[in-house]
Amino acid sequence: MQKLHSKDHVLLKEKVIKLLHQNKITTILDFLQEDVEKLSTLAKLSLPQILSIRLEYFNKYSAPVINGNALFTKCIISKKFISTGLSSLDNITGGGIPVGFITELYGLAGSGKTQLLFQVAINCASNNEGTILYIDTKGDFSAVRVQKMLQAHGYSHKNMAAVLMKIKIVHIWSLDELIEFLRRIKNRTEFIENLSVILIDSLPCLMFQYLGDDCKVGLSALNVFVNYCNYLCKEMHLSIVCVNIQTRWVDQNASDLEDDIESSVSKETVRIEKRNRCLGRYWQHIPALVLLVERTKDCENGSAEINISVTKSAFGVSNLSCTLKLSELGVT
Amino acid sequence: MLKVIMNTNYKIFNAAEYWQRETSLPSIPTFCQQVDKLLGSDGVQLGTITELLGLPGTGKTQMCLQLCASIQIPKALGGLEAEALYIDTNTNFRIHRYQEILKSCLLKCQKLLDTSEVIDEEEALKRLHYVGAFGVVEFGALMHMLPTYLRDRPKIRLVVIDSIAFPFKEGVSARERSGLLFRQMSELQRCAVERQIAVVLTNEMSTRLGLSGGSIVGSMGDAWSHRGTVRLLLSSTERGRAAVLVKSNVAGAGVASFQITKEGIRDVE
Repeated sequence: MQKLHSKDHVLLKEKVIKLLHQNKITTILDFLQEDVEKLSTLAKLSLPQILSIRLEYFNKYSAPVINGNALFTKCIISKKFISTGLSSLDNITGGGIPVGFITELYGLAGSGKTQLLFQVAINCASNNEGTILYIDTKGDFSAVRVQKMLQAHGYSHKNMAAVLMKIKIVHIWSLDELIEFLRRIKNRTEFIENLSVILIDSLPCLMFQYLGDDCKVGLSALNVFVNYCNYLCKEMHLSIVCVNIQTRWVDQNASDLEDDIESSVSKETVRIEKRNRCLGRYWQHIPALVLLVERTKDCENGSAEINISVTKSAFGVSNLSCTLKLSELGVT
Repeated sequence: MLKVIMNTNYKIFNAAEYWQRETSLPSIPTFCQQVDKLLGSDGVQLGTITELLGLPGTGKTQMCLQLCASIQIPKALGGLEAEALYIDTNTNFRIHRYQEILKSCLLKCQKLLDTSEVIDEEEALKRLHYVGAFGVVEFGALMHMLPTYLRDRPKIRLVVIDSIAFPFKEGVSARERSGLLFRQMSELQRCAVERQIAVVLTNEMSTRLGLSGGSIVGSMGDAWSHRGTVRLLLSSTERGRAAVLVKSNVAGAGVASFQITKEGIRDVE
């Protein structure tokens, strides 16, 4: 809570502040909540004078109003997307990973989310100036795999090293640690030069640690995390990609209603598989772009086809999808 | 708690440093070259969590025992010459069987080294640390103490939990189970990554009718299957035993065959 300060307003002299202090009005909030007439008698100032101080505070602390034109100009001069280097993926998302927003990648376990993330890290690092930060919460990052992918794409040793140098990895094992880490990036106590993309693989590994606790500690921590992410996205022009998972459950009683009519017919239970995007309701609205990763076909030689569809997008039409190939080469 | 976090030093590596670290890490061989090759890292890699899945009798425990023996391969042969911790939660561990596998492993090493040095079986057996943790309370307490235990015994480079699902069969709800498991795993993995310890878990199979992609899946649900980095499914048919790599961050999906002999896990001739 901010304290009243003599620099805030010309009328707010040390003497006045002292008087207010004696009456337990120390913070700006105390001042604004107090009755104006009472303040006027306490501070020995006229009513218009008190009102002018109040107005000054309101002006200073309320969110600024920007007109549409200025906002639009700001929007067109800043970079909006970072290309993923995968043209079909760029097409369906409207240009790649949005800058200044949170993107989510979700899918079943083993569907290829991590591999896609490796590829995105490689492509972003080789096509852009910026540094890629890979936040690993489940020990999934493999530089050996990344190097093999680079080699398969025909990179020279020198270029390979240059790309690898631009990908930074940090291991984080709890949500508290992640929040503290983001706080340090915000305060610049943890400085990463030219940071442009943060990849978090994966968020549920941290969030699920709070499952089964009756209190809502996890939810409030998630909220703090989201606030830091939003702040970093906007202030440092970052793209943040979070990995989320999908779980399945089976609904067994789908045909019960019809069974009432033909009860003599053998009751064959219809099982319908339902899929659930994890992390709870609050999170569902947070990412600006949500991509679903599905493994659609497994080939003989160990490669697979993965389908990526846009399930939510703040940048244009959703329901677009594309198919990529996951193989020794990486994602192509 | 908060104070601990405030003092945390975040180690930020670049991928080139990470690559060096990863490639200089030795792996624990399974004694079956096909399986080693399948895993893409010449065996079970230090610093990672590997999950062995399979129906009863497919060789999960045997594979664990083999790894506990392989960890003792002397440095002269490129081995780790280290110790193993075996956490038994389902009373599947048989010391006689371990002794058998260990002896043949050491004999093979001796033959390769071409020395006549007598193997001290007693000393070799001392390099295995066994804990029987039964029930969720004992298991939870053990997992809580594990980081300290591993810190005090730096020679331990392999931790086996056989099986991870067993302690959670009774006394906890599904939500509590997930919360506990994810907390325990992240603490264990913090240790594993920092101290470069390999972690091998076994898990049972369960049946979930109506699920796409087959109704027989690893137990403990989809969230859990997301947690592990490497998942190896073991199976046994009339045509022999096979290992299927279901999930990996380094290698593509594939199959390898192996056999279980008196000596342990071996290649099919």
